[in-house]
Amino acid sequence: MLASENVIYRYKKNKRTILDSVNYSLEEGCFSAVMGESGSGKSTFLAVMAGILKPLEGTVRYNDVDLYELKDKELSRIHRNSICYVPQSNIMLKNITVLENIVNPYLETASDDDLKEKAVSLLEKLGIGNLAGNYPYELSGGELKRASIVRAVLMDPKVIIADEPTTGLDKETGNRILSFLSEYAKAGNSVLVATHDEHIEGYADNILRLERS
Amino acid sequence: MIKTKIRSILSGIRSRIFYSTCLVITTAVLSFMLFSGSIIKSSLDKGMDNMDRRLGSDIMLVPKGSREEAENLLLEGQRGTFYFDGSVDDKVKDIEGISEVTSQCFLKSLSADCCSSEVELVFYDPDTDFVVGPWIETNYKSDLKKDNVIVGSDIVTENGTIKLFGKDYEVVSQMAKTGTALDSSVYFSDDSMASVIADAEEKNSFLTEEQKDGDILSSVFINLKDGYNEDDVIRECHAKAGDIFDVVYPKQLNESLSDNLLRITDIVGAVVLIGGILLFGILVLINSVIIESRKQEVALLRVLGNSKSKMALMLISETGAVSLFGSLVGCLLGALIVIPFGRYIGMSLSMPYLGPSFIGASVQVIVIMAIVFLVALVSSILFVFHVTGIEPYLALKKEAE
Repeated sequence: MLASENVIYRYKKNKRTILDSVNYSLEEGCFSAVMGESGSGKSTFLAVMAGILKPLEGTVRYNDVDLYELKDKELSRIHRNSICYVPQSNIMLKNITVLENIVNPYLETASDDDLKEKAVSLLEKLGIGNLAGNYPYELSGGELKRASIVRAVLMDPKVIIADEPTTGLDKETGNRILSFLSEYAKAGNSVLVATHDEHIEGYADNILRLERS
Repeated sequence: MIKTKIRSILSGIRSRIFYSTCLVITTAVLSFMLFSGSIIKSSLDKGMDNMDRRLGSDIMLVPKGSREEAENLLLEGQRGTFYFDGSVDDKVKDIEGISEVTSQCFLKSLSADCCSSEVELVFYDPDTDFVVGPWIETNYKSDLKKDNVIVGSDIVTENGTIKLFGKDYEVVSQMAKTGTALDSSVYFSDDSMASVIADAEEKNSFLTEEQKDGDILSSVFINLKDGYNEDDVIRECHAKAGDIFDVVYPKQLNESLSDNLLRITDIVGAVVLIGGILLFGILVLINSVIIESRKQEVALLRVLGNSKSKMALMLISETGAVSLFGSLVGCLLGALIVIPFGRYIGMSLSMPYLGPSFIGASVQVIVIMAIVFLVALVSSILFVFHVTGIEPYLALKKEAE
């Protein structure tokens, strides 16, 4: 479904090679994890796989289409419908509600009411349905993380790539998020997460371990 | 789709309330300056042009000692009660070098039944006139008979008539607006003067002895033939009519005012230029302050499936919408402050001032909004390219760090 081939990425500033000929394949219905010490290149690998950081060499193919050969609009379409990336930080606009933060990026692709209904349903599934009308600064880190995940899955992408989705969260919230992502994968989608969280072993179908070179 | 786009833009504006407020304030201030400056300048231009055409005589003879009052008449249309012998025009009209002569007599401080405020009566000779005629807005076919009047643009008539000292007069035409006291004047043929004065006396209106006498004039307007010297003609006028008049040179007065206008135009131009540069600088500053947070926001939206061009359009639309709103606010403020007080501005500058029409002011608002919109767009264009050009992951990573 989503595969990298001989991916090499090198930091421009210090010329350090962080990914060196990485070959990896994410299959349909699979919940995969990437683990490794800090600086091993987990986040960089996820960004390259998500099509938002062009590697120095190698290819990343989604259903046999090289993401980095696509025009901007075609790649955007894939990001909207097929591959969604959840960054480590919970970026939300502070002067609009959580629900608006979730719905607004997709306003031109579906009806407002449908999007809101679906978003509230997903928020309820993650236990924060009552916070839909709140402003982001009224939410805790764990609540914001769950809202970010709802925003990512709102358009039912086939692939979710989440960077450190449980970092800084308590065990219960972390497990709730991992459980949600695991269910999402079992529904015929694919999930790839980068994490330090050892609990991942109870959820992930396979784990890729990266080492700092 | 359009509704969704508008909602999307409004939502974006609301989410960056600080940026939006700063942009509204700066564009409103610039638009206020531009609108006020351009309205004042164009009104002074129109006033000058109006004055030039209104009193386009080469020289004007007025009673001795009343030069200042006469100059006020030229500038602001405020008539005085100054008179000299009613035969002055006849005495000078045949002097060599004079191409045309006409005279007027003003009666001030006469209350009238028609109007709540003071109405000024002007008696002129339609046969020789070259001063009033150009300002008659609507044509009338017949001669100005004894019971006919022409009224200034501010005079309200009832069924085409106006009542003065108990007598109805038919209004045969109305003058174009001049922006001066002329707009509240009533114009009669000089043949009517005796009967109007008689009516006023009958109604116990206050009249001076000179006015009761009736054989008086307030000013004589003279145009010269080409190639004749003003001083020679004036000397000859003194010889014929005696030392009973002062001379006003409307065109010289006009030239001096034109110099003032040029200075005012320079000042307005400088203020607008400085304002424009300041706006540009402030917008660049605001954009650079918020650039980091916008980088992350744009990066996130791109990760969620929005293309670079869509992001650029979003940023430009937001800046455009906010700057247009700010510009409209500034223009409306300018209109509220400058337009009602236009006459006072003209008086304080001692210059004729003719305010804009609704359409004229609307056109200026549209032009100014377009200029401010363009300045706002140009100031944000580099910022838009920078924000949309950065790799999304690098912007998101910076936030995480």
